[in-house]
Amino acid sequence: MKNKLTPQNIILILIVCFVPLLLFGIDLLARLLFDNFGFDLPIPGASSILRILALTGLYVLLAVGLNIVCGYTGLLDLGYVGFYLVGGYTVGLLMTRFGISYWIALPLAVLNGAFWGLLRGVPTLRLTGDYFAIVTFGFAELLYQIVKNEEWLIGNVNGMVNDIPRASIFGIELDQNLYHYYHILILIALVVFVSYRLQHSRVGRAWVAIREDEQAAESMGINVSRYKSLAFAVSAAIGALGGAFFTQLQSNLAVEVFEFWESILILCMVVLGGMGNIRGAIIGGVIIGSLGEVLRIVLGFNPQLADARFLIFGVILILLMRYRPDGLVFRKT
Amino acid sequence: MSVFLLQLINGLVQGGIYALIAVGYTMVYGIIQLINFAHGEIFMLGAYFALILVTATPLPFWAAVLLSMVFCAVLGMLIDYIAYRPLRNAPRLSALITAIGVSLTLLNLARMLWSSRQRTFPDDSKPAIFQSKIDLETGEVFNAIPLPDGAILPYTDIFIILLAVVLMFALNRLVHLTKIGKAMRACAQNPVAANLMGIKTNQVISVTFAIGSALGAVAGVMVGLREAIMPTMGYHKGIAAFAAAVLGGIGNITGAMLGGIIIGLAEAFGGGYISGGYKLAFAYVIMIVVILIRPSGLFGKSTAQRA
Amino acid sequence: MRNWLVGLMLLMSLAFVYGCDTGNQVRVAVAGPFTGTAAAFGEMIKRGAQLKEKEINEAGGINGKMLKLVFKDDAGKPKDASNVANSIADNRRFLAVVGHFNSSCSLAGKPIYKQKGIVELSPGSTNVKVCEGSDWTFRNLYRDDFQGQFVAEYVNKYINEIKTVAILFDNDDYGRGLRDGFTSAAGNFGLNIVASEAYDRNSTDFKAQLTGIKAKNPDLVFISGLYSEAGLIVKQGREVGITAQFFGADGVDSPDFLTVAGDAAEGTYLTTPFIFSEGGGEALRVAEAFKTEFNGIEPDTWAALSYDAVGMIAEAIEKTFDQDASLADKRKAIRDHLASLNTPEKGYTGITGLTYFDKNGDTVNKPAYVKIVENGKFITAPQQLLNAGSQE
Repeated sequence: MKNKLTPQNIILILIVCFVPLLLFGIDLLARLLFDNFGFDLPIPGASSILRILALTGLYVLLAVGLNIVCGYTGLLDLGYVGFYLVGGYTVGLLMTRFGISYWIALPLAVLNGAFWGLLRGVPTLRLTGDYFAIVTFGFAELLYQIVKNEEWLIGNVNGMVNDIPRASIFGIELDQNLYHYYHILILIALVVFVSYRLQHSRVGRAWVAIREDEQAAESMGINVSRYKSLAFAVSAAIGALGGAFFTQLQSNLAVEVFEFWESILILCMVVLGGMGNIRGAIIGGVIIGSLGEVLRIVLGFNPQLADARFLIFGVILILLMRYRPDGLVFRKT
Repeated sequence: MSVFLLQLINGLVQGGIYALIAVGYTMVYGIIQLINFAHGEIFMLGAYFALILVTATPLPFWAAVLLSMVFCAVLGMLIDYIAYRPLRNAPRLSALITAIGVSLTLLNLARMLWSSRQRTFPDDSKPAIFQSKIDLETGEVFNAIPLPDGAILPYTDIFIILLAVVLMFALNRLVHLTKIGKAMRACAQNPVAANLMGIKTNQVISVTFAIGSALGAVAGVMVGLREAIMPTMGYHKGIAAFAAAVLGGIGNITGAMLGGIIIGLAEAFGGGYISGGYKLAFAYVIMIVVILIRPSGLFGKSTAQRA
Repeated sequence: MRNWLVGLMLLMSLAFVYGCDTGNQVRVAVAGPFTGTAAAFGEMIKRGAQLKEKEINEAGGINGKMLKLVFKDDAGKPKDASNVANSIADNRRFLAVVGHFNSSCSLAGKPIYKQKGIVELSPGSTNVKVCEGSDWTFRNLYRDDFQGQFVAEYVNKYINEIKTVAILFDNDDYGRGLRDGFTSAAGNFGLNIVASEAYDRNSTDFKAQLTGIKAKNPDLVFISGLYSEAGLIVKQGREVGITAQFFGADGVDSPDFLTVAGDAAEGTYLTTPFIFSEGGGEALRVAEAFKTEFNGIEPDTWAALSYDAVGMIAEAIEKTFDQDASLADKRKAIRDHLASLNTPEKGYTGITGLTYFDKNGDTVNKPAYVKIVENGKFITAPQQLLNAGSQE
C-alpha cells in the first residue's frame, strides 16, 4: 500500500474493473463456437463466474472487516459471522416487512451492526486471548440459535426470509450478477479506504500499540477501552455491510448461511494473508473465498475428486501455514 | 421426581463425555497454548476405529476399545509431529489455522471413507450390559434399572459416568504423582525453564497429545455406544467440550472436568425443561456469563495481558 | 511466460477433446445433496434418475438424441444451491433442472431459475412455499401441510386408542412445516398434543427431550424430522422407557432408519409419497430393473420420484423439440409444456401415479401412503387412507 498509484496498481485496478467485459467476450465466443460448430468449450458461463467473483468479493469485504479486530488489535474473534447475520437480517426484514428501499436499509444495517459490535464489545473489554475468542463464538452462536428458533421475529421457520426485493438505481433493477459484481467492488473500495485511513491515523497507531502491549499503551495515555470499542464497532459495521450485500446477491436468507464454519473461513483468510495487513486480507479473501468454487469447477469432471474438495482445502491450509507461517504478505504495519 | 433424576443422569453422562474430551483440549492448551481443533476429529476417529475393529475382526469389544485408544494416541502424536511441531515458534494463529486444516482434512477423509451416514455398534458386538431395552408387551426391563413411574435408567449411562470418574481420577493422579506428570506441569508453567532443567519438552508434549487423544477415543466409543457415530460428531461434541474447557479455565485439568459437567447439566436441564431447540444455547449462555464474571474461567489463573 | 503458454495449450487441447464428443446430446441437470448430511437421499435421487436415463437412451433417446444427465451437488446447503443454480442456468447446454431436494435449496434456487428462465422440477421439496411466486418451479409430490393433516387423520382412523400425542420435531423448515400441519389438524381428529419438543439436525443425543416426553406419557410420538435423527430417537426412546407408538413422516423413509434404529424400529408407522407394491405393474418392473442395475439395492420413494421427474422432463423435451430454436425458447417451451399439465386428463402418468400441477406448480392429487416396520423391513400398512381430506 506504500506506492499507491504505481503503473502496476493502475493496471490491476483496470483489469478488475473490466473483468466482466472480458468474461462476456469469452462467453460470446463460446456461444458462437457452440451455435455454429457444435463445439462446447468447457468453461462456465460469464454470469456464473461473475457470481463466484461477487461471492469472493463478499469474503474479501468480510476479511478486511475482521482484520480490524484480529489484525490491528490482535484479539481473536471467532464470532464474526454474528455481525454478518445482523446485517443480513436487518436488510432482509426491513425490505420484506416494511418495504423500505435498500439504499435506506443499507446504512441502517451498518448502524445496527455497529450497535451489536458495541453491545458485544463493551462487556468483553477486559477479556484477553482465548477467553475473548470463546465469548465471541458463544455470542455468534446465540444469535444463530435465536434466529433459528424465534419464528415471530423472522416471520418464517429456520430463519428463512424469501423474495427479498432487489435494489434499483435509476429505475434499473440490480438483479444481474454483473451489477452484483460492481456493487461489491464499490463496497470493497469504500471499506478498504476507511480501513486504510484508520490504520494510518492516530486511531490505527493506538490499535497497534494496544496489540503490542495493552498495559504499556494504557500507561502512555491511550484510552484502551475507547479505542478497542471503536475497533469492535467499525469491524462489526463492515460485517453487517457484508450481510446487507448478501441479501442482494442471494435474494433470500436461511440461517444455515451464518454457521460457525463461516467465521473460521473468514479468520483463515485474515491469517493466511498476514494479520494486520489490508493487502493480506484481500489476497487471503480472494484465495480462500474462491477456492471452494474453483475446486468444484476444476474437479467437476470427476465427481469423486469434487467430493474431496474440502479435504484438499484442509491440506492446502496446512501446507501454506507450514511454509508461510506469517501469512502470504509478510510485512506487518 | 424421577424426571429430575433422569435429567440429572443425562446431564452427568453428557458431562462425563464432555469432560473426557475437554481434558484433551485443555492439556494441550496448557503446554503449547494451541486450541487443538483436530482433537474433535481424533475423538471421532476413535469411535470409527473401534467400530471397524468389532465389525470386521473377531476381536472382543474391550480389546477393540483398547486398540482404538492406542491408535488415537499414536495419531495424536503423529499430528503433533507432522503439523504442529514445525510451527512451535511461529505466530500462535498460524498454528491455530494449521489445527483447523488438520481438522478439516480428517473430517473429510472420514466422510469419504465411511460416508456421512450414521452408524451404531451392532447389537451382537456390544457386551450385554449395553443392550438395555424395554419389552413393549410385558413391560419387562433389560439391562436397566426400572424407576417408579415407568422410566428406566440404562446400565450404559451408569457405566459411562463411572468410567469418566475413574479415568478422571487416574489422570489426576498421573499428573500429580508421576514423573511425567511433574514434567507436564513444569512445561505448562514455563516451557523454556523446564527445558533448561533438562526436561525434553517435545517428548512431554507428545505424551500430552497421546494421553488426551486416548481419552478422546474412549469418549468416542462411549458416544458410539449410547448415541451414534458419524463424521461430524467430532465437530458437534468437540465445540461443546471446548466450551467446557474454557469455562473451567483453559489449561486447568480440574476446571475442564467441572466445566464438562456444567455444560452437560445445562444442556440436559435446559433442553429437557425449557426448550429443546435452545439446548446448545444454554451451554453457551452459562459459559459467557461465567467468563464475563470471572474472566479466566472457574479455575484459570489470570494470565499476563497477552493475546 | 513459456510455462503459461504450454499450460494454455494443454488446456486448449483438453478442451478440444472434451468439447467434441458432446455433440449429439440433450442435457438435463440433476441437483441434489450428493454429499453432506442428506447424502443418503441424494444417492437414491441419483440412482432413480440414472435408471430412467439409461432406459430412455436404450429406447433410442429423445428424438434420436441421447439424454445426458449431469449431477450437481448442492450439499443440502442454500448457498451452495445458489451457486449450483447459477452455473446450471448459465450453462449453454442444460435444458431443465431436476431438483433440488431440500426445501431450503429449492427456495434458494427459485429466484435464479425464475430470472434466467429454466424449469426447476423438485422430486423432494415438500415445504409449502417452494412453488409459490414462480412460474418456473414445479414439484411432483405433496406439500408438508397436507402430510401433517394426513398423519392426524390416519392416526385417528386406524390406530386404536390414541388420545395424547407428543411431537418431536426437527428444528428446521421441514420439521416445523410438518408439525404445523399436524398441530392444526390434530384438534379436529380428537388428538390432544401434550408435548412439542424441538431438536437440532445433526445432534445425536435426544435423551433430554425424550425424558421430558416420557414424563407426559403420551400414546403416540410423532417424529417430524429426517431418518438419521428419527432412528436414534426411536432407539433412545425405547431406552428411556417410552412405550408409545412411534409415527414418522416421509423424511424417515430411508433404509438407513432401519439400520440406525435396529430392533427399536419395530412397529413404527411412517408416511411416504409412494410405495412400489401399490404402484402396479410398471412400478414393479422398475423396482426389478433398479435392483438389477444397482446390485440388489431396493429402490425407495425418492428414487421413484426422481425417476418420474426425469421422465416428465424427457417427455416435455420430446414434445417441444425444436432443433433450431434458441436455448431460451427451448427452455420456455419446456416450462409451457409442464404448465399445461393442469388437469387429470393432461397429466403425466409415471410409476408414482398421475402427476398434474395447479397454478403454482404444486402437485395436488397425490395421496400419501403408510408403511409399517415389521421384522426389520418396511411393509405396506394394512389400512391405507387414499382419499384423505381434500387439499386445496
